[in-house]
Amino acid sequence: MAESNSLTDAEIMLKIAGYDSKALEQLYDRYAPFLYTLIKKIVIDKETSEEILSDVFVIIWRQIDQFDFKTNNIYTWLVTLARNKAIDVLNRRGGKMLPDYNDEYEKEHIIPKLSKEVETLELDEVLNRKEKMEKALSSLTDAQRYVLELSYYGGMDQEEIANKLKIPTVTVKSKLQVAIGNLMQKLSEAK
Amino acid sequence: MDKKKCLELIKLEVLGCLNETDTESLKIMKEKNDDFPWKELSDYQNLVALIPSALEMKYPASELKDKTAMKLYNIRDEIKAKIDAKKALEIPSLPVEEQLESEEKFVIEEKVEVEEKIFAEAEEGFHINTDEPLTPGKDESFRIVSNFKEKNESKNLTSETHGNTDVSVSKTAPEKDVIEKITRDYINTHMESEIDLLNQGIKKNKILSFIFFLITLILIGALYFIK
Repeated sequence: MAESNSLTDAEIMLKIAGYDSKALEQLYDRYAPFLYTLIKKIVIDKETSEEILSDVFVIIWRQIDQFDFKTNNIYTWLVTLARNKAIDVLNRRGGKMLPDYNDEYEKEHIIPKLSKEVETLELDEVLNRKEKMEKALSSLTDAQRYVLELSYYGGMDQEEIANKLKIPTVTVKSKLQVAIGNLMQKLSEAK
Repeated sequence: MDKKKCLELIKLEVLGCLNETDTESLKIMKEKNDDFPWKELSDYQNLVALIPSALEMKYPASELKDKTAMKLYNIRDEIKAKIDAKKALEIPSLPVEEQLESEEKFVIEEKVEVEEKIFAEAEEGFHINTDEPLTPGKDESFRIVSNFKEKNESKNLTSETHGNTDVSVSKTAPEKDVIEKITRDYINTHMESEIDLLNQGIKKNKILSFIFFLITLILIGALYFIK
């Protein structure tokens, strides 16, 4: 176990691509709490969150060939995958009309498609930047933070947010764009 | 391409907030424009992935790891098929001579191991069919999946072994015959004495039954004559 603990995320993913289940276990040990925290924030319910987390690792195991080893951005891939899956469950549970969940749907809507030009992130590095992210988020206005949360954790699209807040869709779009732009700027300044 | 418009769409896309029309526009931009801002897309994808880092960490139940391992175990056939397909794609890429040489080496060194693995697999299969729960120990949650991987490899080794040692059998469907042969050998070496004992017991029972039958006949005859 000591040996596998020293493996980087990229090395672990390579081993998973060879269906090494110990590597998957290593990835689970490393990422499960972080992904669970995100999933629970989205779906709230503990049991559903655990079910989703477990499904995320099944997806990783089944769809590892969908991971782009050229970009190798494991952190962002895993977080986006977990979020997509949790939002999908949330939407289905909320009665949103969605296509049947099958392999094709999973590849199209759940598996992340990351940019081909990518700066890779590692979990440890992200956790070290926790405070900076908290500060950057708290620097947003309440309205900006609220629309950002409705979108990121609530899985709502522009129209849904507009309906909820009873404001025009254009305003929602603009608030989201400003919020994410500001967040980027604040984080860059904090580097 | 309008870069400003493109960036606006990127910001909404990374939040999963695009409507159908905008999704389609962005898709076209990605496909058709050589100067699509991939770097900016990557920056925003990373940025939104950083948002949950501000959350207070929560931990899933420790049993969840076992539950996940069970889910993985349940899809073993699907994964096995994927591994087989992967191997099938890899094998033809080797030049034929090189392939034969490597297979021969494999056969000599691995044959004994293959047989052992097959019987380990058979024993484990029996274990799985019992009523005992398959819940693994705390630190071995994913081991049942590992075992599956080893089993799968052993099967592949079997087919490769057979393809070289027994020329008379078609290389396309060797697995069943090899397993039968190995099973016969195993029975001969490990179970012969037990089978002999069993046969002797059956013989004894037959003789006893016959004696009891004769005694019954004699008693019936004696009763008939007494009357």
